[in-house]
Amino acid sequence: MTVQYSELIQPERVHGSLYTDPSIFAEELDRIWYRTWVCVGHASEVARPGDYVRKKVAAQDVIMTRSTDGEISLLLNRCAHRGNLVCEDERGNSGSFRCPYHGWTYRNTGEMLGYPYNQGYGGKGKLSLGLGRVPRVDTYQGFVFASFAADGPSLKEHLGAAAGELDRLARLSPEGEVELTAGWLKHRAKANWKLLVENETDGYHPQFVHGSVFSVTGSHIGNLYSDKSTAVTRDLGGGHSENDLRPEFRRMGTPMTWFGTSEAKVPEYVAKMRELHGKQAEEILIEGAPHVMVFPNLFVAEISVFMIQPTAVDETVQNVTAVQLKGAPEMNRRLLSQCVGSVGPAGMLLADDSEMYERNQRGMAARMPEWLDIRRGVGRERVDENGFRVGAANDETGMRGFWSHYRSLMEREDAR
Amino acid sequence: MDQWIIASEFAEVAVSLDTEANGPRLRLTDLRGGRVRYLDALELEALAWLPDERMRELLDPSAGRWSDGRRDG
Amino acid sequence: MSSLAEHTGLDLREVERFLYREARLADEHDYDGWEALWTDDALYWVPAGSPDADPQRLMSVIYDNRSRIRTRISQLKTGKRYAQSPPSNMRRLISNIEVVAVEGADTVVGANFLLIESRERGTTMWAGRTTYRLRRVEDDIRLAYKKVVLVDSAEALSTLAFLI
Repeated sequence: MTVQYSELIQPERVHGSLYTDPSIFAEELDRIWYRTWVCVGHASEVARPGDYVRKKVAAQDVIMTRSTDGEISLLLNRCAHRGNLVCEDERGNSGSFRCPYHGWTYRNTGEMLGYPYNQGYGGKGKLSLGLGRVPRVDTYQGFVFASFAADGPSLKEHLGAAAGELDRLARLSPEGEVELTAGWLKHRAKANWKLLVENETDGYHPQFVHGSVFSVTGSHIGNLYSDKSTAVTRDLGGGHSENDLRPEFRRMGTPMTWFGTSEAKVPEYVAKMRELHGKQAEEILIEGAPHVMVFPNLFVAEISVFMIQPTAVDETVQNVTAVQLKGAPEMNRRLLSQCVGSVGPAGMLLADDSEMYERNQRGMAARMPEWLDIRRGVGRERVDENGFRVGAANDETGMRGFWSHYRSLMEREDAR
Repeated sequence: MDQWIIASEFAEVAVSLDTEANGPRLRLTDLRGGRVRYLDALELEALAWLPDERMRELLDPSAGRWSDGRRDG
Repeated sequence: MSSLAEHTGLDLREVERFLYREARLADEHDYDGWEALWTDDALYWVPAGSPDADPQRLMSVIYDNRSRIRTRISQLKTGKRYAQSPPSNMRRLISNIEVVAVEGADTVVGANFLLIESRERGTTMWAGRTTYRLRRVEDDIRLAYKKVVLVDSAEALSTLAFLI
């Protein structure tokens, strides 16, 4: 191992080269992106047998398919013959795929169906070649995860406490299911992927970076992260972290405040939830959706779902879509509208975040002071009743959790 | 949804274009047996090019629906 | 004079003058001047993915009604909309202008554009086809609808916080 990660990643600071060194980026692909569980998409994107969508895991082009028996596969979009892309369309419905180059044809589970003029290969069924398959595919609350490692921790083990946050999102649907069916915005930033990940649960920046939109819309979001806020930042372990805003929403105590609205605006939804959940409905409607960063690339920001895709050491695509709640059309229209206003290249929140990622990346071209500081709140951290580290709403507890897990993955001796 | 019924004295099948999935499919409903099948474009192309001999094999009642369960082809 | 002009009172020269003015106000970040062009039933739309993607069901890059246009402009005017502070330097060319339909009081116009944006990130080329719905209001022409279909709307886009 040439890079000494223990020197670059210290409890209260991390080295700038982690964001700028191409050789570190190459090691990250091997040790994180093509090894641990990475979120690829959602089962609702391939709802019917034969449905497929193209996805990316870092630089690799992947086809997410649903077979006739309902199983989801992740196939590498690379013909076994000459390495050509097999699928060109972003989405479609086909039980089999035919490479346009020489006509080799595969089932949507990857198995080869045949090739033209088979006498050149000695006849039918002589080649045991198929499309590459991501070795491990698993889903949680419909979120589809890929691991390129044949073995290792299960998805449940990987998600750990973050699973509960995805449950919290799903329970907002009257049918207990999230759907990601609104299509994706793809927002490119000239910045290292870790700047995005760290920013997602950084409660210190909203009042500064997003002050412009808070001031013109009268949004209360800024207050959630102020020094007076009772919200907390939690290191959920495994590199996952959250801004737990529930203490603030419970203090306010009114249903739908989490969504910046009132129950009068979404009466059918609120009535349906009360009918379904009885007394517990109030808790669900008051506490709202999670704000959680699931290592390394799934970010749920209440109403929006982001999947982060690194493309180079200094370039990242942030894919984003609106949360849609199955069985809640009244909510879904509003979720879509709010999400479109907030995220993506022109979003009133994310365009400014993205500007900061890019300035941050350019800033690091300067070699001094070399380090990025992540110590905010170290002195006031506590351990909660479940054993997780908790800091104030605008503390860097989440970042420290991220780096600790990152270091453990990058230092693994058996990583290659 | 536009639907056509293709019927003879032997069979009755409804055919329609399904647009609920990520791409268009043909929906076939055997109105007598109740079975539904979807065919995508590549499958339809394969059917269009199916040699008559293979189609005759498919029409053998014991090839599918009334097979006796043994795979002894 | 064409029959279109008889129906609407908008001839191609008037249409051009309006489009060029709208472009100049956007390029020069004249936010108040640009906002004043819009009617109350305004719709400002930049689709993502397919140009025909249903904006009521699918994500758009921008899908602003009049109220959200006001919010967008107000945010830009704070000076703390960092994605446009400092503002991008940019100029756009508009060409291939065609009157495509006359619908009641509205004239529907199509035009191509090529826009060069320069900021510290680098120089970005934006291009596409815009559909405008122009309406004569007393002695003035106002903008009721602007749909901008980017040629690369299906690809990953850089931040687009200026007025496109």
